[in-house]
Amino acid sequence: MLTSRRLETSDSALKNIPGAEPHSRLDPWWWLVVLVAGIIAILSITRPDPYWRIILFVRDGIGVTAIITVVSFILMLFVGMLGGLGRISKNKAINLITTLYVELVRGVPLLVQLIWWYFAFPVVIQQIGRWTGISFLAAYRANALVLAIFGFVFCYGAYMSEIFRAGIQSIPKGQMEAARSLGMNYFQSMRHVILPQAIRVILPPVGNEFIALLKDSSLVSAVALADLTRRGKEFMSANFNPIETWTMVALIYLVMTLFSARIVNYIERRTKFER
Amino acid sequence: MNGNNEPIIHIENIHKRFGKVHALRGVSLRIQKGEVVVIVGPSGSGKSTLLRCINRLEEYNSGKIVVDGIPLDSAQNINAVRQEIGMVFQSFNLFSHMTVMDNLVLAQKIIRKRSKDEAHKVALDLLKKVGIPEKINAYPSQISGGQQQRVAIARALAMNPRIMLFDEPTSALDPEMIKEVLDVMMALAKEGMTMVVVSHEMGFARAAANRIIFMDEGQIIEEAPPDQLFSNPRHERTKRFLSKVLDH
Ligand SMILES: Nc1ncnc2c1ncn2[C@@H]1O[C@H](COP(=O)(O)OP(=O)(O)OP(=O)(O)O)[C@@H](O)[C@H]1O
Ligand SMILES: [Mg+2]
Repeated sequence: MLTSRRLETSDSALKNIPGAEPHSRLDPWWWLVVLVAGIIAILSITRPDPYWRIILFVRDGIGVTAIITVVSFILMLFVGMLGGLGRISKNKAINLITTLYVELVRGVPLLVQLIWWYFAFPVVIQQIGRWTGISFLAAYRANALVLAIFGFVFCYGAYMSEIFRAGIQSIPKGQMEAARSLGMNYFQSMRHVILPQAIRVILPPVGNEFIALLKDSSLVSAVALADLTRRGKEFMSANFNPIETWTMVALIYLVMTLFSARIVNYIERRTKFER
Repeated sequence: MNGNNEPIIHIENIHKRFGKVHALRGVSLRIQKGEVVVIVGPSGSGKSTLLRCINRLEEYNSGKIVVDGIPLDSAQNINAVRQEIGMVFQSFNLFSHMTVMDNLVLAQKIIRKRSKDEAHKVALDLLKKVGIPEKINAYPSQISGGQQQRVAIARALAMNPRIMLFDEPTSALDPEMIKEVLDVMMALAKEGMTMVVVSHEMGFARAAANRIIFMDEGQIIEEAPPDQLFSNPRHERTKRFLSKVLDH
């Protein structure tokens, strides 16, 4: 939407908006991504055993890691937005609940939270099912993938709420007042005036969260999910070659994080605007 | 329109406290349709607060405000009243992520439910009226303060308000840009817009105002037509204030 509007403006106007220059050059750090990908390629070609075998073995783990990261990230954006709005809400109950949520989540290690959701939460559900006599709750079975995503969204959503809160609060008060004075209600003003500006402000920290999440997703190897890290562990215990296995796993993570960082950087540059 | 002499803005004995600060102490004011009222007074006297109470950007603690027959007492009424009142701020407050055109179109579409074409036409006509149709695709950061303020006035006018409020619209501007904004306001006054203006531009007040209101410490001290107030203020406080602002 933003790009199309920019295309309508004249070239001279574009010059003044950083990031919207007509010929945005490719960010030079892409070569680092290419370099690491190149190392992986060279290793797999020159020594297919074990490197290419490792890649084939952990391949589905890469998919699991990617799914957990992307799905959790999208969901936590919604949680973060609602949490952020809750944190600045004048409604005391909403404010209290969201503040409590943020404070509690930030006080517990992520690994412990993931383990809790996977091992304790299903039992809690089953107990509730038994007490209330609702049979499908009593028969509840843990789904590792769903609970892992749930755990990440719950935890990262709290951090994301703080990012959204700070972003919204960084927009000058006059913007909201101007919107309200035109007759827009609170939600219309948020949606059309405040959030579009806040999102540009929070893009860098939100991008960092994505990369942090990608790395933290390796923690799910502790809760029976066959992600990249867990597949690496399995390969190593079958073949006893820790150096090759963990080097390759590290390189694959590195390619994914470097690549994500470049994408984040690209989006940031495309959406920057002057105040 | 209304046969009786019901004022378009009717403020009755409002009080506003910010914690310990008693910003408005029993202000009453009636403004007739088509009147131009300029409010003056020292810093902190409550001018902005009074203005912001009229469209309920600020809540007041007691008293009553009725705008165009609608009492400011329910959320529904407040949004209805805000649609009738345009407001122009000292710091312009243009939406910085939108072009000039989108600034003018947004509320027309959402609140007035106008089609894209219709809203664009209204916007373009108003930009011509304030003298900057060529800036239609610029972003606020790309135009001067005076131009931004004229866009802000156009944005408010696009909603077809019956009343315009101005809170020190020229005090953030460089001297050479003040006139272009005052000219737009002057034209608006001539067209018969009801205007409440907080400003220390005494030239504008003299030329445009039907009435000048002098406020101090949260109260209206004195009100009179400009000639009378400037040449013959009745209160000592008004005299002292005027001698300061009229000197230069
Ligand atoms: N949001 C607020 N919180 C606390 N106190 C406030 C707030 N807004 C205004 N006040 C206080 O209320 C009083 C009146 O303020 P107001 O802004 O209405 O004055 P003013 O006449 O517009 O002054 P100026 O000419 O400086 O703009 C001042 O003492 C001010 O400090
Ligand atoms: Mg003020």
